[in-house]
Amino acid sequence: MPVPGIPILEGKYPSTMDLYPLEAKEFNRVHQFYENLRQKRFTTTKCKKCGHVPFPPRVVCPECNSEDLEWVDLPTRGKVLRFTEEVAGVPLGFDSPLIHALIDLGDGRKFVSRIINCKEGELKEGDEVQLAVFDVPPMIIEKKGVMTEAERVFFAFEPSKAEVK
Amino acid sequence: MPERNVCIIAGGMSKWGVREASIIDMAQEAAKECFDDIPALKRKDIDGLLFASSYCGRRSFQVNIAPVVAERIGIKPTSMCTRVDTLCAGGSSGIILATGLIKSGIADVVMIAGGEKLYTPQRWETYYSELASIDHDWDGAQGMGLPPPYFSMTAQEHMKRYGTTKEQLWAVSVKNRRNGSTNPKGHFQKAVTIEEVMASRVIVPPLSLYDCCPITDGCAAVILTYAEKARELTDRPLVYIRGSAQAALHSMSINWPGEHLADWLHMRTAAKRAYEMGRVGPEDIDVAMTHDCFTISEIVEMEELGFCKKGEGGPFVESGQSDFGGKVPVNTDGGLLSCGHPFGATGIRQAREILQQLQGRAIRQVEGAEIGLTHNLSGLNVEHTILIYGREP
Repeated sequence: MPVPGIPILEGKYPSTMDLYPLEAKEFNRVHQFYENLRQKRFTTTKCKKCGHVPFPPRVVCPECNSEDLEWVDLPTRGKVLRFTEEVAGVPLGFDSPLIHALIDLGDGRKFVSRIINCKEGELKEGDEVQLAVFDVPPMIIEKKGVMTEAERVFFAFEPSKAEVK
Repeated sequence: MPERNVCIIAGGMSKWGVREASIIDMAQEAAKECFDDIPALKRKDIDGLLFASSYCGRRSFQVNIAPVVAERIGIKPTSMCTRVDTLCAGGSSGIILATGLIKSGIADVVMIAGGEKLYTPQRWETYYSELASIDHDWDGAQGMGLPPPYFSMTAQEHMKRYGTTKEQLWAVSVKNRRNGSTNPKGHFQKAVTIEEVMASRVIVPPLSLYDCCPITDGCAAVILTYAEKARELTDRPLVYIRGSAQAALHSMSINWPGEHLADWLHMRTAAKRAYEMGRVGPEDIDVAMTHDCFTISEIVEMEELGFCKKGEGGPFVESGQSDFGGKVPVNTDGGLLSCGHPFGATGIRQAREILQQLQGRAIRQVEGAEIGLTHNLSGLNVEHTILIYGREP
């Protein structure tokens, strides 16, 4: 049932309630991660000085303190080690079943990600999954009274053979 | 000034549950019971306040809540008045910080209070807000804020690797709900049978309703001071803070520090340091309050605290070793499974129970308890916080 809400906020963008990151370059120094994601690339920063490759991406190398970083690609396929299917009590913004999996990316990293394009009971341990990129609602940026919509994408993983909707 | 020994001298709680009250109302209730617990101490004796709350900013629209609480409960801090946020361990963080403040002479008598008003007028906001409790831009945006899915994978890992059974998980629930049945301040006062637990609805396999702690509103408060001052204020046995540690080895799930999801390296790291500081080992602990956000959590915690060998947490709880009469009674007031978990208040609730246990006045008393331990894990298992209390400094 729609409710009146808070009249003074009608038509406003409350960014503190935004599920997704404020990805735009005006608000985020790792916005390149999302630009790369748009190209179906799953990336992070590598330190040009010491070679450290942390995830999530950084603006300063946490190992050697260098700011001289470059973007490198991470694997976009992985193997499901464990998974979980949440059917009831899924938070607003997500559909049931909300599936999460611990994925072995094969580069020494184990990533916990949402699995999309997958029905309840379909996923198995050992399945291969692949990166899936999708559009999410834009964030709003107001400059001198002018509103702009900054388009956004986000990512999850999906069964490798799934048809991408 | 010689280094001071620090004591916990009083504790109180508001009623916990789905409350028709604001966080500020419940802070007053908790402080009242805390003041009632030590009649010789007057409000003017308190010079510091640490208030542990994670969600006051989001769900009560109140940041910098410490001066608001100080004013409403009628104290005027002059040494320190600040908020602490370590999510599920906020109260324990406050106790560790207050210990340091008092030891060093920066503060003399400090109230550590904390709590949350988690239920919002529309329930969507209650659940949706949980997405802020983890690494927001990465794990939160994956919809991972509500803990059951993550801990279901921990449970699967433990069951597959060590043969842990659902019956062993349920044994934790039955024990803690029984312990909580006589605790009037907790969320639930109803013991449950193994049959009831078995029949309860599945939340995320293998976790059912009674494997999960509820979402709870509530506040709690304790008071710490140095030993000489404590002796002036109370005739009860003194309870000292002997050791503590807080370990945070990662934030985002991808950087999990253990070998697998049931291997909690950060907890062992914290336990080792706290035991060393407290000059005790696991065999010395008479009573423990560990973070039973899920039944599986308490099982892993028995192992990582060294109460039993790795992988033997299931048989340990099922055979009653964590119950009264066993090796170390755990969650004697009902734990999170029965009391609920208003994040910032939980470590304080645990401290209050250990205080009462070590002073011989707990509702369900562990006979002759002299050394107690509290433990919290924060968020999706990203931090572990441990405190050791004792009748000797």
